[in-house]
Amino acid sequence: MVITSNDITVKVDHVSKSFGDFTAVEDLSLAVRAGRIFGLLGPNGAGKTTSIRMIVNITAPDSGTIELFGQKINSQLQDKIGYLPEERGLYKSMKVGEQLRFFAQLKNVTGKDAQQRIDTWLERLKLSEWKQKKTRDLSKGMQQKIQFISAVLHDPDLVILDEPFSGLDPLNVELLKDVVLNLKRAGKTIIFSTHAMDIAEKICDDICLINRSRKVLEGSIREVKKSFGRNSIALRVEGTNGNLATSNLVSNIQHHSDEVEVLLTANANPQDFLKELIASGAVVTKFEMIEPSLHDIFIEKVSETQ
Amino acid sequence: MTKLLAVVKREWMARVRAKMFIVSTVLLPAAMVLFGVAPALILSIDSGNGLRVVVVDGTGKLFSRLKTSLQADDAADVDATVATRANRIAAGRRSDFVLEELQPANRSDADVKAQLENRLRAKEIDAYLILPPDVMQTAKAQFVRRNTSDLISTRRIRDAVDAAIRTQRLIEARVDARTMSALGRSVDFETRRISSGGSERDVGDSFLLVFVVGFIMYISVLLYGQVVLGAVIEEKETRIAEVLFSSVKPFTLMIGKLLGVSLVALTQLAIWAVAFAGFGLFGVSVLASRGIPTRLPSIPFHFYVYFALFFLVGYFVYATMYALIGSVVTTTQEGGQAAMPIIMMLVVSFYLFLPVSRNPDSPFSFWISMVPFFAPISMLVRIVTQTPPFWQIALSLFIGFSTVAFLTWIASKIYRIGMLMYGKRASIPEIVRWVRS
Repeated sequence: MVITSNDITVKVDHVSKSFGDFTAVEDLSLAVRAGRIFGLLGPNGAGKTTSIRMIVNITAPDSGTIELFGQKINSQLQDKIGYLPEERGLYKSMKVGEQLRFFAQLKNVTGKDAQQRIDTWLERLKLSEWKQKKTRDLSKGMQQKIQFISAVLHDPDLVILDEPFSGLDPLNVELLKDVVLNLKRAGKTIIFSTHAMDIAEKICDDICLINRSRKVLEGSIREVKKSFGRNSIALRVEGTNGNLATSNLVSNIQHHSDEVEVLLTANANPQDFLKELIASGAVVTKFEMIEPSLHDIFIEKVSETQ
Repeated sequence: MTKLLAVVKREWMARVRAKMFIVSTVLLPAAMVLFGVAPALILSIDSGNGLRVVVVDGTGKLFSRLKTSLQADDAADVDATVATRANRIAAGRRSDFVLEELQPANRSDADVKAQLENRLRAKEIDAYLILPPDVMQTAKAQFVRRNTSDLISTRRIRDAVDAAIRTQRLIEARVDARTMSALGRSVDFETRRISSGGSERDVGDSFLLVFVVGFIMYISVLLYGQVVLGAVIEEKETRIAEVLFSSVKPFTLMIGKLLGVSLVALTQLAIWAVAFAGFGLFGVSVLASRGIPTRLPSIPFHFYVYFALFFLVGYFVYATMYALIGSVVTTTQEGGQAAMPIIMMLVVSFYLFLPVSRNPDSPFSFWISMVPFFAPISMLVRIVTQTPPFWQIALSLFIGFSTVAFLTWIASKIYRIGMLMYGKRASIPEIVRWVRS
């Protein structure tokens, strides 16, 4: 796929950042395409947060350039970004409504307009009745939703969410996931940083995996999975269990409760394996090609570079 | 601008609405009144009737004078100052002494003493005073009392005896009463200054006001420096800073915080000023209705402008220092300790009052009044004593406000980098590197 420059919302070009002797980000290049959900993945301390801080213009890179919406980053562009940092914080003694109004003002959204957006968002996240309550009276999950609202209140074109789902109950995770997908439908670009692979797998279009301050992997989820196309098959058969390992097409077998996961050798054709099975007289009740999960890719890649 | 106003408004609202603000607005003046008035009240508590004193007047000439001066009712007390008179009116106080004269007749001194000792022991009297016949020459009197720790009344009696003897001596030297009162008049000391313009003016009031301005500055810095410190640390402790920095420039945030907190201070000062002015007017009218003259201080108008400007410079220089400390440290407690030197500087700037007022035009005074930390008080002293050329005043103000801007800029720089390193205090070399970056 050819990517033209006006498709790109965020362009990070050979960026490095270190704190004293510690290198947080090294020679990172990535492109976030407009209107897509971009997953910035990596283990703790990989350099995700530092990368995001540079994109949001909180810290400046030591070297390299960052462009947003085709311009070099500057403080005006900050108003087009909504940022939910991993470090959660709200003014505890302020009322929810006041707090949101304050954050809206910081993004140059004021007056009736702000008021209306606050009400809409509180409604959408089922927090309307808490508007006049002090923030400290809210549960942690509610506070997190409030902070999410403060990040999207000014209708930013780029939304950056650092671990937005951590600490939420499954119901709220679903709620917030829908909201994020709606933002995408509305044409917003979303950068989503997490180490929770199951959610990333469900909502991301593109991913970038970083580990130890370096980029390990980048691309659309489909491309990535394809390139990881391991010959793995979930299999349930009756009759020949013992003989599976003797096939020269099989490199590894893992036994699960009522099925086995068969990893074929690199160039083996699954169809040949199926033929072999049937020829051996086995009754095949399940034969399914397994795509590697993001989780598997993550673990493989991260332990590779450890 | 919207962003700056938003920060200022938030800082102001959050604090003015806090219970702490309301409590301190009411309690601080109350505490000051308490500390000011309570000692006077306690001292004036009369633990019983007047002091019963028996006077053995060997000369036979002093007792009546003693009695009038010690038991004098207030109207006759010509020398009493307005203040003490007002006090007495307020307290409706009766005389502190009950004097009784004892004629020795033909009894011996020892006899008289023995009798008085008995009466003392029987608690019929509290003290006795023996003025021997030759007291006019020897000036030696004897005062015996049960309780010698009441220094105040002992001194009053001594002063009264002193005055009575002096008067008696003058009478015996045939000095008439008018000459006497003319000679005894105390000096009416009027301080005047000659300004470069040649006009004369009373310095006293202006001088006092410099003290008042300095004092208010001191109180504001003491009270609100900590608040500035807390405000700067707040976002570090609550971890809101990261969100804020994704929306506002650190400099805007820092200025907003300084202004917001300062407006809180000004709000409180304004409340106190209005209350004080109200009470003052009430007090003046009460005094006036009792025939006690009061007058408003005579201070030229442009002095008030200088007072206001230098108060602001002083307040902001010190408040910014607190902000700077707040940007470096991670907890409020840590900040409190680090702020000690600031208070020291403020105290030093008070002490500089003296050398500067003694020699307001010296090079020393000039340089001191150009140092932003000392300028507010020392420049005001110079202005009210020998007003320096305008360029010096302007320069001092300029240096002051520039320092505020510069310190704020440094603080915001340290703040931005420091807040991203939660829980870790920066070392001095690190800070220097941050500021330079």
